[in-house]
Amino acid sequence: MSADATNLPTTKAAVEDVGQIPQWQLMVRRFRRSRLSVIGLYFLIVLYVLMIFSDFLAPYDHNKLDSNYAWAPPSKVAIVDGQLVTFKLKQTLDEVRFEWFYTADETQPLPIKFFVKGYEYRFLGIIPMDIHLFGVEEGYQINIIGADKDGKDVFSRLLKGSQISLTLGFIGVLISVVIGSVVGTASGYFGGAIDNLIQRLIELLRSFPDVPLFLALAAALPPGVKVEVRFFLITLIIALIQWTGLAREVRGKVLSYRNSDYTAAAVAAGASHWHIITRHLLPNAMSHIVVVGTLAIPGAIGSETALSFLGLGILPPAVSWGVMLRDAQTVEAITSYPWMLLPVAVLIVTVFCFYLLGDGIRDAVDPYA
Amino acid sequence: MTNSHTATSQDDVVRVEDLKVSFYTDLGVVRALNGVSFNIPRGKVLGVVGESGCGKSITGLSIMQLVHSAGRNEGGRILFREFADGESINILDYERNSAEMRGIRGNNISMIFQEPMSSLNPCYTVGNQIEEAILLHQTQDAVEASKRAIDILTKVGMPNPARIASSYPHELSGGMRQRAMIAMALSCTPTLLIADEPTTALDVTTEANILELMRKMQEDIGTSIMFITHNMGVVAQICDEVAVMYLGRIVERASVDDIFYEPKHPYTIALLQSIPRLGRSKGRLASIEGSVPDPYSRVSGCPFHPRCPVAISGVCDSVVPEETVVDAAKGHTVRCHLYT
Amino acid sequence: MLNYIIRRLVNMTVLIVIVSFVGFFIIQLPPGSILDVQLTKIRERGGDISREQVAALRVRYGIDDPFTVRYWKWITRSLQGDFGTSYETDQSVGERIWNRLGFSVGLSTFALLFTWLVSIPIGVYSATHRYTVPDYIITAVQFVGLAIPGFLLALVLLIIATNLNAIEVGKLFSDEYVDAPWSFAKLVDLGRHVYIAVIVLAVGATAGLTRIMRANLLDVLNMQYIQTARAKGLDEAVVIWKHAVRNAIQPLVMALGSLLPALIVGETLVATVLSIPTIGPMYLTALRIQDMYLAGTILVILSFLLLIGNLIGDLLLAWVDPRVRYE
Repeated sequence: MSADATNLPTTKAAVEDVGQIPQWQLMVRRFRRSRLSVIGLYFLIVLYVLMIFSDFLAPYDHNKLDSNYAWAPPSKVAIVDGQLVTFKLKQTLDEVRFEWFYTADETQPLPIKFFVKGYEYRFLGIIPMDIHLFGVEEGYQINIIGADKDGKDVFSRLLKGSQISLTLGFIGVLISVVIGSVVGTASGYFGGAIDNLIQRLIELLRSFPDVPLFLALAAALPPGVKVEVRFFLITLIIALIQWTGLAREVRGKVLSYRNSDYTAAAVAAGASHWHIITRHLLPNAMSHIVVVGTLAIPGAIGSETALSFLGLGILPPAVSWGVMLRDAQTVEAITSYPWMLLPVAVLIVTVFCFYLLGDGIRDAVDPYA
Repeated sequence: MTNSHTATSQDDVVRVEDLKVSFYTDLGVVRALNGVSFNIPRGKVLGVVGESGCGKSITGLSIMQLVHSAGRNEGGRILFREFADGESINILDYERNSAEMRGIRGNNISMIFQEPMSSLNPCYTVGNQIEEAILLHQTQDAVEASKRAIDILTKVGMPNPARIASSYPHELSGGMRQRAMIAMALSCTPTLLIADEPTTALDVTTEANILELMRKMQEDIGTSIMFITHNMGVVAQICDEVAVMYLGRIVERASVDDIFYEPKHPYTIALLQSIPRLGRSKGRLASIEGSVPDPYSRVSGCPFHPRCPVAISGVCDSVVPEETVVDAAKGHTVRCHLYT
Repeated sequence: MLNYIIRRLVNMTVLIVIVSFVGFFIIQLPPGSILDVQLTKIRERGGDISREQVAALRVRYGIDDPFTVRYWKWITRSLQGDFGTSYETDQSVGERIWNRLGFSVGLSTFALLFTWLVSIPIGVYSATHRYTVPDYIITAVQFVGLAIPGFLLALVLLIIATNLNAIEVGKLFSDEYVDAPWSFAKLVDLGRHVYIAVIVLAVGATAGLTRIMRANLLDVLNMQYIQTARAKGLDEAVVIWKHAVRNAIQPLVMALGSLLPALIVGETLVATVLSIPTIGPMYLTALRIQDMYLAGTILVILSFLLLIGNLIGDLLLAWVDPRVRYE
């Protein structure tokens, strides 16, 4: 027997039949291989879960003022007599720098209570509730991250801010993906005059630099409207500016699939436009759309933050991470009250995770990359 | 052992012995070549025939050491002898990107590919790309190089060589580009030309022209050719000898006449039956049962046994057949239990 | 080639006309007319205005004219270099813009050069050493570069620089150079004041371009002609730099057009944080106080820059890629 014969016998059962695995499972497998992207995905899941429970987790209303706690540092937490406590604060005047500063009064412990009644909110926007995960005695505050210049709890604001910051960019991209896909497909599939018209429109929109256009449109929003309306309008602006890029990409893809043999075969078999678009073109372009969409989200989140930071986006009393950053604009604020920078950290983590996620998906859907 | 196939003591340009190459991918290991052995006689055209995925191209690329870096060489030798009276060297002894290997590529062994549309760099003129090889291996003189480039373009039958040299690839048709590719490959008068399905992407008329050109160039320059194809018709037109590949092995090796008139291996026979012929259109065209097995799995015994109409159960499904000499005088060998 | 340039120029001209039209439309968008803003301002100063004066102002601002007439007035004046009068300072819009635009363009061009010089080699290295430790590190750094908002990076660098006494905040020149004629020393002085802005601008763009470069090069390396080049016996370095990079660089060239205005704009936030008097903060202030003539003009000028950038990008592309020339 030759050497080959002894080497080769391998039972077929021991080897998985890769040809039988559906395409999406192969993608999941490839996605799992890029560990950074998987970590990014998990982080995002955590962030969004926190966002859903933000009102429950936040001890205070995001606009609750308390001048006794202006610029209060993160509360000290300790265990006294077997109980988790924080301390009341003592304000002292630094006579040299002429600034108030706080010290924890270790003689006056404040027990931290769990599942306490607090401000009223609607869980998931529907169920009215007033239970919060933790809190302290009425009249005092626990600021696990610290407080801002009006004594507003930064932790509560961070949670509340996530409701806007984590959704606005996401929804904006979602809308732009829908517009971009529809317009791009129409343009690529039907071609001719429709294509020409759409391409000219896109070219015109893209002749404006995006950020200035964005700022100009945001500045043109009516000032006195309700938070929800403003949220919606800013989402629309983001979508309006972002869809052109996506439409171009989808058009390119659709155009190449349109000229492929299987489309010709479908046409020859008498398939309708609708059938060809939904069964042949879109499924092929879908992975590409998902990738471009995912990678557009961090930009959209960044845009919202930048707009709000500049005072043209979400306006107080509503809060987003960008709004919070307005307080962290100066060197003095950051060196004296470093906790004001926390929204930036969270923002960076979020954006970072979306990039990782998008990158992982791209590698997963494109077997040749 | 396995390298006993050529009884005639002829001069081989390349002798591949028991070559094994595997690809390590996310989805598993693909054993692309499972001990490939064959020889390319000097001055002859050897056709390597087989279905897609049987390892034809990998064999060609292995000789150039251009297999994608995911592919690992797991044994075997590739002996190359530049001159009939010279020493043989084992190509696999050199590093992929070593100066020695680069000195062989394009100079002693060159290669042309299937897609004439994408095998020329769109950013440089055709002349520039041909001169590049000449400047690398033949002369340092740019003027001389451009003269030689136009020379070789004339030889491959370009109508207006000077104008073609200053054109960009996208300005040429597929057939013209393949001519340019051949000119590039032959610019340094290589000992061996590996042609990986050079006419598959071309229409039939162009294909015939290109094949004629290759045959003519082969006779003029004396280059040996390894012609990779899946098309038996093309084999009949250009090849002197044929090696039939199936799943990473050579299953039959014979002269072109023997392959067509005395095929031995059931796979070769099946391949020939699947060629449509004029005047014999009675009934359906024969096709080979089943399809090539999944590349990630391994088939025990003879790799062809699941599709073989005459498989001997208990033998073919458990023992890998060895290479058997059918006709020593003509160098006809086969790997099949029917002939052991 | 000449044909191609002419076609691009005509196309651009048409676009500029439409852009200016849309730009003017946006100027008119904010609620409340120009007049209201002006009246509020006068009242704030304690002035009182009679009905006749209001009527006179209405005529002067053309409030009652139809849109097209107002556009025509604005555009003809703009073409003569008179961009209208800023409501805020009553200073000529043109003059204010040109002062700052020069610095913005200069700063951005500098950042752009920096970006290109850095991102191409890094992208090439990253692509040719895929899935190695250095590639992972480069990838991680890129993502951080993309994820950190420019203004935050500016802030952090500013804190470090202030602590080290390495920067003077809020201006472009030291006092002794403000009115001095251009000299090498003045240039160095300018560099000392703006280097943080250049770094911040370049970091984000570099991260993005490196990423694009890596992806493109990976695509190109799969192309058949790369194999052809290798089969010729070329050294791997020549294969990469002569055959692959030349093809992979095209999207970068195309990006050039949009990058220049993007940098000018990206500098908006950064310059705000660093208090550098460039066009960005000016645009922002104009928008905040609804000084729409100023804002609209800047918007149209920026669009103009974008179109010019695109034109330069297209021409460069035609130069790099012979296929484009014959389209």
